[in-house]
Formats: sequence, C-alpha cells, structure tokens
Amino acid sequence: MQITCTINGRTHRFDCAPESRVLDLVREAGMTSVKAGCGEGECGACSLFVNGRLVNACLLLAPQIQDAEVVTLEGLQEETAAIRESFAEHGAVQCGFCTPGFVLRAYDYLSHGGERSEEAIKAALDGNLCRCTGYRKIVEAIVKVKS
Amino acid sequence: MGVLGESVVRVDAAAKADGTLRYTDDLPFDGLYGAVVRSEIAYGKISAITFDPSFDFSDIVIVDHRDIEGRNANVVLTDDQPFLAEARVRHIGEPILLLAHRSKRRLREAAAHIMIDYDAQAPVLSMEESLALKQRLYGDDNVFKAIHTVKGNPPDETGLYTLEKTYTTPHQEQAYLEPQSMVARFDGGRVKIIGSMQCPFFVEAALEGLAGEKIEVEQAPTGGGFGGKEDYPSLIAGYAYLLCKKAGQDVKIVYDREEDIAYTTKRHPSKLRYRSRFDSTGKLHALEVDITIDGGAYVTLSPVVLARCVLHAAGFYDCGCIRVDARAVATNTPPNGAFRGFGAPQVLFGIERHMDDIARTLGLSPAVVRERNLPGAGSVGVSGVPIAEHARLRDLFESARNESRFDALYDSPAPHRGVGMALFMHGAGYTGVGESMLASGVSIVLEADGSVEIRVGSVEMGQGTLTALPQIVADALDLPVDMVSCRTPNTAEVADSGPTVASRTVMIVGRLLAQAAGKLKTALGDYDTPDGYREAVARYRQSGAPQQFGASYEQPADILWDEDLFYGNGYEAYGLGCYIAEVEVDPVDYRVRVVRFDAYNDVGMVVNPMMAEGQVEGGVAQGIGYALFERLVYEAGRVRSPRFSDYTLPMAPDLPEISVRFLGVEAPSLGLGELPMDGPAAAVANALGHALGNAFDALPITPETVEEACR
Ligand code: FES
Ligand code: FES
Repeated sequence: MQITCTINGRTHRFDCAPESRVLDLVREAGMTSVKAGCGEGECGACSLFVNGRLVNACLLLAPQIQDAEVVTLEGLQEETAAIRESFAEHGAVQCGFCTPGFVLRAYDYLSHGGERSEEAIKAALDGNLCRCTGYRKIVEAIVKVKS
Repeated sequence: MGVLGESVVRVDAAAKADGTLRYTDDLPFDGLYGAVVRSEIAYGKISAITFDPSFDFSDIVIVDHRDIEGRNANVVLTDDQPFLAEARVRHIGEPILLLAHRSKRRLREAAAHIMIDYDAQAPVLSMEESLALKQRLYGDDNVFKAIHTVKGNPPDETGLYTLEKTYTTPHQEQAYLEPQSMVARFDGGRVKIIGSMQCPFFVEAALEGLAGEKIEVEQAPTGGGFGGKEDYPSLIAGYAYLLCKKAGQDVKIVYDREEDIAYTTKRHPSKLRYRSRFDSTGKLHALEVDITIDGGAYVTLSPVVLARCVLHAAGFYDCGCIRVDARAVATNTPPNGAFRGFGAPQVLFGIERHMDDIARTLGLSPAVVRERNLPGAGSVGVSGVPIAEHARLRDLFESARNESRFDALYDSPAPHRGVGMALFMHGAGYTGVGESMLASGVSIVLEADGSVEIRVGSVEMGQGTLTALPQIVADALDLPVDMVSCRTPNTAEVADSGPTVASRTVMIVGRLLAQAAGKLKTALGDYDTPDGYREAVARYRQSGAPQQFGASYEQPADILWDEDLFYGNGYEAYGLGCYIAEVEVDPVDYRVRVVRFDAYNDVGMVVNPMMAEGQVEGGVAQGIGYALFERLVYEAGRVRSPRFSDYTLPMAPDLPEISVRFLGVEAPSLGLGELPMDGPAAAVANALGHALGNAFDALPITPETVEEACR
C-alpha cells in the first residue's frame, strides 16, 4: 500500500505492506535517532511525535501515519538544544542508545509545563528504559534544564 | 593542568544526545539481511533438514556447516562450541542454518519453509540432573571445570556454633539496550566485520579460526555491553562472515529483543552452600563453601567465571580455615557467559547473606559481626596470601556504618522497614596471571598539530573509555583533554590492549597509556606552556624521530600465582564496597521498595567523578534489579518469555536516591565497572530480612516470595 506523511516537515511516500512498523519506515527514511530497543512498547527508545503526541514507533503500523505529521529528534534539534546540553553536562548519557528517547520524553514533559520536581519527573519517565545510568543523572539533567 | 579527577563532559555525549551517532544498525547499508535457523529441541541429533519444494529458495543465500572453510569451532577457552551445528544439537536455539536475503520479509518466509527433524533425547535441564549424570554431556562427569582449595587447618570445635545455609541466584540478562548487531562488508573478496562488541581482538581471533585467515574487525558505537558483548559477538560475527563470503555481498544481522534474550549468554545461575563455624562473639573460625554454577551447553567462559567465584567466595573476612569446592557444570540450556561482576555477584550474595545469618543466630547486629571479622595485618584470604587491603576495608566499613547511621536504623526499625548491609570486594583486572598472558600493549601517536591519538582495542560501550583514557594521557602530558582522542578500535589499526572487561580498562590500559605518554614527554623535553609544548613538538618532529610511543604490560614482581594450587595473588588489587540499603515492604501487595541506598566505594583515584558516579548508580540499579525484579523463566530449556514485558527491568520510579561516595582516592586507580553490581542484592536481601524478621536466600525476591515469607 501507499502511505503518505510528513517527517520533520518533508513529505515522504512509502510503498509498504500494511503491517510495516512505523519504526522501520522512519529508520529507512534516515531518521536513525529512532532506535529499536524492544519492539513492544516497553523501552521508549523508538519515541517520536505523531501529530504532536509522543508515541512508540514500534507499536504503530504504517496506516496509522497516513497523512500524519511525524517529528523525530532530527527535526527538533533547536527545540531540544538546552535539554541535550543539560544531559551532557550532568552525565545523563552513557551508552546513549536510550538517550534520544529520553530527550524527546523530557521535551514533551517540559513543553507541557511539567513540574521540576524529582518525583514528578521520575513518574514521567516510567515508559523509558535505561540500563546504564540508574536514571538519577537523567532526572537531575531534566530538573536543571535551562529555560 | 591536572585533568585527572575532574568531571570532564563525555566526548561522545553530544552526538549521542542529538541522535547523530550511528550504531551498527544505523550505518549506511546496502546489502542482505541475515537470519539464523535454530534448533527447536534442547538435546538430540538432527535427522533431516527439508526445504519445502513448493517454496522457491533460488534467491536465498543458505549456509550450513559444510560451507565453513576453516574450523567450525568458536574457540574461547576450549573448542567445544561449533558456529553451526553438525549432527547434534545441545540447546534450544543452537544455530543450524544461516539465511540471507535483501528482503526481511522473504527471509522470514524462507525460514518458515525449512523443516528440521530430530531424534530428540532427554535433555539435562538443571545442575542437579547434570551432576547426577542424567546424560553425559561433557567429559566423564559433566563438569567443565572444578576448583578445590583449602587454606588453614580446621579449628578446635569446642564451643563453636555451626551454621549451614544454601543460597541460590538465578540467570540474569544483560539487557544492554542495543541488541546484538553485526555487519560483514564485502570488498572484492575480502570481508570486514563492523559491529557492536566489547572485544574486537576476541572477534578477530574467532574469525581467524573460522575463516583460516585474518579478518579485520572494527567496533561500532556500542549501546551497552555489561559482559553480554564480550564473548557472544564472535558467534554473530561468524554468522555474518559466512553469509557475506557465500553471497559476495554485505550482510547485516541484527537480533530483535526476543532473539537476544532467548539465545545470547546470561549470568550463570548458582547454588551456594555455606557452612560456617563461629564463636559466641560472631568471630568466624572456619568456612566451607560449596559452589555450583550452571554453564549451559558449552564451556565458553565458565572456568574463568568459576575462578572468580572462588576468589570472592569468602569475601575479605578474616577466617583461619577456608575451604572452597566449586564446579561449573554442563546442561542443555543456552550457554551462560560474562556479565558485569563475572561470578562475584553470586558468591558475594552468598557470603553477605551468610554474615547476616550468623548475626541472627547469635542475636547480634550484622555490623558487629562484620566488624569482628574484619581482616587485619596478618589475615590471609582464600588464596592463601595476606589481604593487603585490610586497612582500606576498615576505613570504608567505619565510614559507611557511621555516616549512614546504620546502627541507629538497625536498632530501631520502623514498621515494614529494614536496613541491610553488604561489605565486599572486587578483583580488578584479570584473574591470576591472566594479565601477563594477555600481554597487552598500547600505543599513542603524536600528530603534526601536537594532538595525540590513542590507539588501543579498549572500547566505549557507555562506561566512558573515550573520555577517561584521554584524561589520563592529557594529565601525563599536561595538555588540555581535547588535545587527546581515541582512534576507533579496529584490529588492523590499534594495539591489542586486551578485552574491555574485568574492570581493567582504566587500571591496566590507563596505566600503560600513562607510561607511553611519559615516554613521549621525555622525548619532547621540557615545556611549561601550551606554546612551549607546540614548539617542543615542532622541534621533535623535525628531528625525524618516531611519532609513535608504546608500552606493554609487565607483571609486577610481587604478584605470584599458582593456578594448580590456587595459591597467590588472585588479583593485582581489589576495589572495595560497603553498600547500605533501606527497604520498605508494602503490607498489602508485598511489593518491596528500596527507599534509600548508600554506596561507599574505594577504587583509588577516580578519573572522572561524574562518570564514576554514573557507573555506580547504573550498577546499583542493575543490582537492585537482580535482587527484586529480574526473572527469566526457563521451561524445558527454553526461555519462556523473552520480552521486556516479562523480564522486568527497574524503571525510574522503581529506584531510590542512590548516594555515591568514593574513599581512598589518593591511591592509584582501580577498575570500577563491576564493583557496584556485587553488593546491592545482598544489601537489599539483608534489609528485607531485617524488615520482616525473615531470611531471603533466593533471588529474585518477588512479591510472591515476600508474601510466602510473611505467612
Ligand atoms: S522499541 Fe519501541 S518501545 Fe522499545
Ligand atoms: S545510556 Fe545506555 S541505556 Fe541509557
């Protein structure tokens, strides 16, 4: 089937099977910040925005992005600059495989006026898995993002 | 300029955070995808392989063991494990055929049209069945390796108490977030391997046997390893190589999570019997430890894991008579391998639980019992030589006990709350004379602009190598850290500095790099300022003298090790930990929450405090996962639910504030990577024992086990 959508503002057309995962489509389109960590919605490494909502690309099938506006970290470099800086500065990045997902989660959280308390941020990170950091420095980095 | 001890920002942080860093699966690729057809049975013979005649296989690349030109053996310590099964299979998931095609979908369809028939035999699925010789899987006794060691003479038993307890620890999955992934690039008849790995030179050696020639191996940015990418990548690299060679095209194999959890190596499960003799003050007089670990279907690294079990089995406690009998056995489950801690987390759970059991038997505080058994100047360890770390251990113990207010918390517990302690050590570097056998080398190269490039095989997998090693070299040369960088580990281009394992990168490789940098500095002569440095470099380069400086490992003279007697310095040095956990049990649903965690560490000089803290926090999180969350269920030799939805890893809300302290920072740097994995499980289990007045001897401690204990 044919699927048309925009990714980071540019129109993309996919000729794909209806059961194709959005995760694979966006990665084939070059957006490799979207990572395949678990393939079942548990880790958040494949996070991206579809029509403004942060979702797991591994759980979406191609038809679900028909005519949609898809935005990945590649398309949010300016908006996430302060968050990324804070992650680097506070040691929230280790192997880095989970990091794009956490940056997008933090961006979503902060841009919706999320409270800067450790408890609230921890709760907001519940859908994102990091095996390296123990999360502390990620939480700290989000608390201290310069606004 | 002293960049040692400073929290320099990781050099790779920006590229990781903006999503531009390319891991193996992100690299530009135009070729075939590879897949593995695996055994469906745990033990037996392959009787027939049938390719469905109604399916067109003509465009599918198919490889079986007959395509192997070199040796069909993944040689780690021995050569028992084939890359591809020939007549017999020994575990579910053992690779039998390899397939490649440009379309993943067609690849899946092809796999579904291959039927494999077996003559199945009853598999050996537990350590007990293995030792009872239900089937003969390995040698005469199914034992991959046995170690027996006795130190000291049995005490006079008058007035001594005896306690015997058995502790068990389960499989644990490394769960690096980036699954195993490997690319084989075809370039005019030559193959180059690029992938996610900890040890490029291990992969190179494995491929040399398989291919009968040297194959260049390059590490790609690696999304976590934790030991899971120490030995396993040699296999997947072999699969990619074989397909690539046959197809004459690039081949990529990326495991999905299920395949990764189901078939790659895990932490060895263990059964630990501790039998102790102690007096009424809690002083240990004798300790007998019986250790069995499950190696799975092939030897892989089990003998070395077992050695590490033995060397850590008694902790660092002072005990006049220690006997350890240990064995790694064969079963028909996927082979187990390296995992952060490498045998130590298992036995340290055993000894640290046992110290609390002794305390409970006598009605004493666990801190008091530990204090009574702290080693002194004359105390010798399990391998018969004095415990050089005794003073450091006492300092660490006292600081942790006092600053965390352990005694006050222990003496006045709140309802459903408890506090627990673990005091432990971790050998840094290779076991025994391992380091001298590796004979690691390093090299650094002076570039025209005065910058310095490090060329070593040590990899970045999240722990910070790319930042820490330049800090060490920059410090030795009095340069800003951004003047020093690391070349991508590639077996054709860097020195073999040994594998990235065993907390050895900073301690061993870092020390060699400092030596190499010292040689460069001597060659350059005096300089005090950056300009002076640049002039010295220009002068030196004009002289036409060599630009490359190296150093290689030499065993310190005072290190002795006798492998047969299991006597000597098991390690050049040990990192130390004293971890304190406070837990709270929900009386309604029996969930355990760790509410506070204090991690006191002594690993000598800390190269980069921010990164080191991150290592401890991450290790503690993994250790808490080991204690409370992570459970793999095997059914008839198969991982029943190989998914993150079933194998629960700790998430942010599951973890407490982890406070990290480093002591002893005046001493030389030791490795830190593994230490924080060793103590948390025992500290948490002991805290739970305190909260509920009950002992928890088996990991993981789930709400079900807590409920049972409360009844
Ligand atoms: S890959 Fe989508 S949530 Fe893990
Ligand atoms: S930094 Fe490795 S998984 Fe988060």
